[in-house]
Amino acid sequence: MKAKLFRIGCVQASLILALSFTLVSTVQAGDLDAFMGEKGTLKISGGTAHIPVMKEASKRIMTFNSDIQISIAGGGSGIGIKQVGEGLVDIGNSGRKPTDKEINDYQLKMFKWAIDGVGVVVNPENKVKALSKAQLVDIFSGKIGNWKSIGGVHKSINVYTRDKASGTRDVFWKKAIDKGEITDKANFVVSNGAMKSAISSDPYGIGYVSVGHIDESVAPVALDGVVPTLENVKKSKYKIARGLYSNTKGEPSGLVKKFIEYLFSPEGQQLSADKGFIPVK
Amino acid sequence: MKVIDRFAEKFFWVAAVLSLSVTVLIFGFMVILGFPLFKGGQFIELLSKPWLPDHGIFGIYPMIVGTLSIALLGLGFAFPLCLGCSAFISVLGPKRLGRILKKTVQIMTGIPTVIYGFVGIFLLVPVIREVFESGSGMCILSTSLLLAILISPTMILFFSDSFDQVPKPFLDAVDALGGNKAQKILYVILPYSWRGVLTGLILALGRAMGDTMIALMVAGNAVAIPDSVLDSARTLTAHIALIIAADFESLEFKTLFACGIILYLFTTFIALSVRSIDSKFWRKK
Amino acid sequence: MMDRVLEKVVAGFSWICAMVLLGTVFCIVGYLLINGLGTINVTLIFGETDPVDALLFRKQVFDGLFPAIVGTFALVALSVSFAVPIGIAAGIYMAEYCRGVLKRVFSLFFDVLAGIPSIVVGLFGFSVAIFLHNYFSSRIYPCLLISALSLAFLVLPYLIRTTQISLENLPEDIRQTAPALGATKLQNIFYVLIPRSLSGMASGVILSIGRCAEDTAVIMLTGAVTMVGVPKSVFSNYEALPFYIYYISSQYSNKQELLSGYGAAIILLVICGLLFTVAFFVKHRLAYHALYRQ
Repeated sequence: MKAKLFRIGCVQASLILALSFTLVSTVQAGDLDAFMGEKGTLKISGGTAHIPVMKEASKRIMTFNSDIQISIAGGGSGIGIKQVGEGLVDIGNSGRKPTDKEINDYQLKMFKWAIDGVGVVVNPENKVKALSKAQLVDIFSGKIGNWKSIGGVHKSINVYTRDKASGTRDVFWKKAIDKGEITDKANFVVSNGAMKSAISSDPYGIGYVSVGHIDESVAPVALDGVVPTLENVKKSKYKIARGLYSNTKGEPSGLVKKFIEYLFSPEGQQLSADKGFIPVK
Repeated sequence: MKVIDRFAEKFFWVAAVLSLSVTVLIFGFMVILGFPLFKGGQFIELLSKPWLPDHGIFGIYPMIVGTLSIALLGLGFAFPLCLGCSAFISVLGPKRLGRILKKTVQIMTGIPTVIYGFVGIFLLVPVIREVFESGSGMCILSTSLLLAILISPTMILFFSDSFDQVPKPFLDAVDALGGNKAQKILYVILPYSWRGVLTGLILALGRAMGDTMIALMVAGNAVAIPDSVLDSARTLTAHIALIIAADFESLEFKTLFACGIILYLFTTFIALSVRSIDSKFWRKK
Repeated sequence: MMDRVLEKVVAGFSWICAMVLLGTVFCIVGYLLINGLGTINVTLIFGETDPVDALLFRKQVFDGLFPAIVGTFALVALSVSFAVPIGIAAGIYMAEYCRGVLKRVFSLFFDVLAGIPSIVVGLFGFSVAIFLHNYFSSRIYPCLLISALSLAFLVLPYLIRTTQISLENLPEDIRQTAPALGATKLQNIFYVLIPRSLSGMASGVILSIGRCAEDTAVIMLTGAVTMVGVPKSVFSNYEALPFYIYYISSQYSNKQELLSGYGAAIILLVICGLLFTVAFFVKHRLAYHALYRQ
């Protein structure tokens, strides 16, 4: 009798386990399944920080369903918002929250799918790895012109910055240097990736980049004692943080809606985490 | 037969008019889209003000300085180099080496500008940075050096052709008088073909001012008015490439059309100057 | 005596110039080859996709140069097919039908068109695209078609000029033979003049192809994007080799991507070098065939 009950119990347990596995795997497969049978083109542009995630997501979607074509361009948050507002693209990415004026003018719907930080970076060979906010403001305004004044070698500081369309720049300007001046002698680079390559090849450069992009080719600089890492952004210890937004004009539908939902799906969120951002879920 | 003839003539004529209208259309678009700048004489102001978007000042003066300094410096490097090379090809070098150089130069005309920019970033910029020990290496000097190499092949071929057009009797006369090759070049060929040389120079200047990729990748794109050749600078062309990302209703974007108009006017000026030299040349012939 | 020194200096100077130029070219090409030759393999072009599937467009290629190469080819094919008929026709007009003041006026305009910086042409193309988008159809954005048209504008003056010059350089006696026998102007053009100037025109066409393949400034404003795969229609965005080289050079995220940039640079260099060499070869060989074969 006991043996029979035991056997029934085992069967029940394994049934339940099997069921739950299928449920879980259906959810996982379902992240991409939503794209089954879809056709058409999806145009995305905007924030350069988002690009690694966009590229990987499109790769998976396009491999899964070859009838879908996804076009990805950069340009910066400003361009993303402007182009989606004008109807030139379906999704405009931005690394900053669109302003109220932009939301009103273009009837934007915002979707924040990850959190990122903006960190100051220098070349890994540079000895200066920590700065105070006051020093940062002075460096970027040009007041402090030589690394020697802050404990480095006797070489002039090469400041690198982004153009006005950049959301990364916007967040840096507002939160890190309190809307201070950026010297007009600063070199301009066009994206987060470009900032990274510039700093990694210039031993005397200083710039700012999305925390998710920081790797061994650049060295993060601690601001008032807090190093810009993912952990610190998550714990709100590092204050210079921003959301990664994907914006659409009006309510998204069809392919656009599915893409945005994919970004929020477990697979999509795992993708963001893999690329170095903090998923919102 | 007559109908086909007339139809064909009309067809060719239409093609030519179409091409001409493209030229006019380009200028027209620049002017119409940049029209808000002309109101209130802002256009003239723009030419002398610095670029300070945060303060609402969208002057393109720094970019004009950038374009001129990079182009003129590049020309300064290229001109003697090209004179020397074309002298080598036409007269001063051994025949076989001259032909090899000419062939190399001809193939060089096919090298894309983006390749020069690419190699410039990774090869030249670090060298300049270390040698001069100031700045980031992304400066006027690096850009001009690369630009000089860009415009050299066309200039060399142009000079070569001009040198080759010196009438043979002149060259024979030098030989008859016992002159050597250097004398031939200095006292006969160069004076005779100075117009061709000038034309080549002006065309190269046009090319140098109109280049975008090298300046965009290597000049640093700072908005300050450059003080020295080791300063980062921005050209009109790179400026267009950078600001295209801005909001196109804004005044900022409209300044792009101002840049376009200025570049267009530079081009027209160059076409006219070449024309005036050439017509004297042909009339003499 | 002073003259002797001057002459030696001049001779020495020209040798130095020649060596400097040759040295620079070897440095540039050598640098690319040293760094990039190692990366040229099937993976560079096709990524992880099987080459046969990619070539038959059955599967998309990611992480490979194939879409950019296809994009460049499509772009060149399209823009040349726009530019060649109009350019050659206009060149024939300039050489055969146009005279006097009108000719000088046309000539001036074409010289100006030839000198317009490519970024200004790109700005024009972009503005036209936005204008059409706002006023005609919201389905029009910067795309393959717009880029091809803009590139066509860019190379039009080259085609016109080379056609015009090769027609005008024909000796007078050849021009006058057919009409003397009763041929009409058009017959003269088609049966006599064009075949004889074919080499010049062909080299003009090939040079235009090269120019379209290498240009970056125009396409970066009119439709080239970071990633989109093989273009599916003329109204879609596309990738292109020179654009790839440009953004990789400033935005590479790891060593692998940088090396792919070198590989792409070598491929582009080879394509353009080949086109220009073919152009010069055609110019000289076709003349031989045209003159001596008939």
